[in-house]
Amino acid sequence: MAGKQSHRFCGSPEHPLNRRGFLGTMAAAGAGLFADMTGLQALAAPEVANELRRGEKRCIMLWLAGGASQLETFDPKPGAVTGGPFRSIQTSVPGVHISELMPRMARRLKDTCIIRSLNTRNGDHASGARIMMRGRANEAGLAYPDLGAVLARECGRPDSQVPDYVSFYFATEGRNMAPGNPGFLGARYGSMDLTTSMIPENIRPPAGISDADHHSRAELRDLLSRGFERGRTSPGLDSHNYAYRRVHGLMGNERLFDIAREPQALRDRYGPTLFGQQCLAARRLVEAGVPFVRVGRAWWDSHGQNFDTHEEMVPELDHVMATLLDDLEARGLLQHTLVITLAEFGRTPNINSQLGRDHFASAWSCTLSGCGIKGGSVYGRTDATGNRVADGEIGAPQLYATIYRALGINHQKNYYVGARPVPLTDPGTEPIREVLA
Amino acid sequence: MVRTLRFAALVLALFPALAAADEPAALLPPNRPIEQVVDHYLDAALQAAKVQPAPRADDAELLRRLTLDLNGRIPTSAELADYLANSDSEKKGKLVDRLLASPAFVRHQALEFVAMLQPDTGERRRGQAKDGLRTYLEKALAENRPWDRVFRELMLPDDADPKTKGASDYLRGRVKDLNRLTIDVSTMFFGVNVSCAQCHDHPHVTDWKQDHFYGLKAFFARTFEAGGRVAERDTGVVKFIPNKGKEKVARVMFLTGKVVDAPGMQEAPKQPKGRRPGGAKGEKAPPPPKFSLRAKLVELALEPGQRDFFARSIVNRLWHRHFGRGLVAPLDQMHSANPASHPELLQWLARDVVEHGYDLRRLVRGLVLSNAYARGSRWASGDVPDEKLFAVAQVRPLTPMQMAVSLRLAATDPAALAGSGPEFEKRIDALEKNAARLAGLFPQPGDNFQVGVSEAMLFANNENLLKELLADAPGLLVHRLKQVTSLEERAEQAVRSVLSRAARAAEVQALTEYMRRREDRPVAAVQQVVWALLTSAEFRFNH
Repeated sequence: MAGKQSHRFCGSPEHPLNRRGFLGTMAAAGAGLFADMTGLQALAAPEVANELRRGEKRCIMLWLAGGASQLETFDPKPGAVTGGPFRSIQTSVPGVHISELMPRMARRLKDTCIIRSLNTRNGDHASGARIMMRGRANEAGLAYPDLGAVLARECGRPDSQVPDYVSFYFATEGRNMAPGNPGFLGARYGSMDLTTSMIPENIRPPAGISDADHHSRAELRDLLSRGFERGRTSPGLDSHNYAYRRVHGLMGNERLFDIAREPQALRDRYGPTLFGQQCLAARRLVEAGVPFVRVGRAWWDSHGQNFDTHEEMVPELDHVMATLLDDLEARGLLQHTLVITLAEFGRTPNINSQLGRDHFASAWSCTLSGCGIKGGSVYGRTDATGNRVADGEIGAPQLYATIYRALGINHQKNYYVGARPVPLTDPGTEPIREVLA
Repeated sequence: MVRTLRFAALVLALFPALAAADEPAALLPPNRPIEQVVDHYLDAALQAAKVQPAPRADDAELLRRLTLDLNGRIPTSAELADYLANSDSEKKGKLVDRLLASPAFVRHQALEFVAMLQPDTGERRRGQAKDGLRTYLEKALAENRPWDRVFRELMLPDDADPKTKGASDYLRGRVKDLNRLTIDVSTMFFGVNVSCAQCHDHPHVTDWKQDHFYGLKAFFARTFEAGGRVAERDTGVVKFIPNKGKEKVARVMFLTGKVVDAPGMQEAPKQPKGRRPGGAKGEKAPPPPKFSLRAKLVELALEPGQRDFFARSIVNRLWHRHFGRGLVAPLDQMHSANPASHPELLQWLARDVVEHGYDLRRLVRGLVLSNAYARGSRWASGDVPDEKLFAVAQVRPLTPMQMAVSLRLAATDPAALAGSGPEFEKRIDALEKNAARLAGLFPQPGDNFQVGVSEAMLFANNENLLKELLADAPGLLVHRLKQVTSLEERAEQAVRSVLSRAARAAEVQALTEYMRRREDRPVAAVQQVVWALLTSAEFRFNH
């Protein structure tokens, strides 16, 4: 029950204080000049807002950019000619084995479903990444929104004090292959990208302006815009004013990105790596109500020395992913939060002359954990060498239908682009029932 | 065959102009000025709906709208003062002609067409990339090259001809994906998105069958890239598996259902692996085909009886650009299940643009001279009437370059932008060049445009941007304003410079009061006032 409580908007102990402090500042700044302007509507009734939030779902995507090897993670083939040097180990689920490089996940598979039968047919980094972030390829004349943008739209609120879609991606490799993209949903649902710093760009006030002036200036802007809005309406116009009215809420939430506010013991558990820190930040964000956070971890593209690469990187993934699931569970967030571990594709069973594995989209794996997922299960199967899907083949559309259903979103819901209905997943696509709780 | 006949009948039913050149009785005569025809048909629809349109926009609003639409920027304070002081009853027409004659018109039009033809140009590159296509379009539009010729040059590019250099970028960027090429050409030039018909007959629109998609694709089936050049083979077909039945070879068929009897309807011979003729850069181009299907498409699309798609599409796109909504909306859904709001007007304009040699400048001039274009953007009270009536001007987000150039212009000391003539044009050109980087910060607006919070955060807190726009430095507005002694006058000048209109009394009062409370930090006060104006909705939109 405590967990359930902590899921409500003010999960972090300092958060309510922050909100109250912010309201105080607003009141002080607004008092003098424009008495009729009662501050931001968004702040009018925080208690009501918190009530509404219950039951809302969140999603964290661990994006293994470059393509992690399924054989060195969730679909090992020890002994096979394609198997490589690593053994497999028994997991907490009888009969299910994963790579020995993932001992912690082996012990906490209870919330996770491993999908071993992806055939996504695209072995190109950029277009593969676009497909795996959207569940389908763009059409000419129609750019689809990615998962983050869809969740920003479905789970975000126009007056939200937190961002709707946050993306951590520090590595230069692959960052431009598939940037967060709201497609036809438009910039309103675009990502807040963190590419160089753990603190978002433009979240701190510029030098040379006092806090009070920063707020008064915004009120002056609002007053001028309201004058213009009288007798004029358009969704674009509304979004402009909403965007500005969210600025101070977001600025007040800089602390959400500050993992130094977490207890040292917990930070130690996530570990000292960037990926670990960003996953901790992701947990802080979803706890505060951010619908979607992507944490990009690059350098998986192991055309050479695949085994050294994975020996170094998989244990980090194992440790951080398990810690994240533990932490979400301890706070009662896991039942509302879907954790997706995904890449643009997997890697070839065939081992090349550089001891590497190349791009491979015909038979690879991903995992779904937490919200709406039947934990401790495996869906699909590859053949003995991992070259083909032997059972339960699915593509990106079914994976996405499953993701939407797990998050309580109708996968057949239509958006309208002009008069044209555009369903979230292509017509006829069905979620995988066996994966869903 | 039955299907084709049925389709042809359908087309005839829906596009009566195709059917009967002897039946234009329903349309106004061809020799009328465009603006009068626009108002004739729009007024008729308003009367039928018993809707009184919004009153005409005032001079300042109209000047801003025209300058943004035709030259891609807001007007300067000097232009505003001149226009307001001008009592010539013909001043609007003269303004339009001045704006159309400006080199900025060509640059802005080129960018608008680049946004249409290359929608995927990366955010960062937008506005600054002087890529081949933009260079080509600027050249073509500068001499007001007819739209049918632009289409021909894009479809049949010749890099050796200096007049069309760069045009080949359109095909080259798409030739590796013929499905995309087919859909893009169909969407951009014919107003028809046949992408649904790629996998199945269109679910709702009887017009679009798989035969149409693959028929159109067949025109491109022989097009390939060789050594950075776009070339075409003598043979090649498109095969597809219909929803019902076995794989078949697509007939070469235009959207109207007209089938081309082309030689070489067999599969292209397998190219030997490795080098192909013209396969390396610098080698001679592959020989042109004896019979070019792409040339046939151009010929057919512009032929009497077939050219309605082409003519209507460009009319609808230019209408959309200036009215914020197409006569047919959305732009790529020009089909029988989605009729135009004013079918006769669309038909008249399409006929007119054909008869006047696809002269786009003439068409734009006619559209913006109409009373409909000049309506106010405010709906005083009651429910806003259906958008289809064009009873009130739409509020349209600025494009990246409109935004960037306007920001720079508004932030500039008005004294530096006084004057007119070639010197002034040169200054505006320089301003545009400086604004290109800024343009990369803003998204290209689509029909459902919404501003993201990152834009608000950028303006709220980004020091580089704020310095660029609001520094107390010679040549910038803030520096000029702080030297004005009267706070009221400061407020009025700020509103004129940024919002391109006279300040209202309540605004002067509010801004003055704001500055008076900050007399200990007068520069900061001016900066904040200018900031609030630059970030206001009134600035962000064309209205």
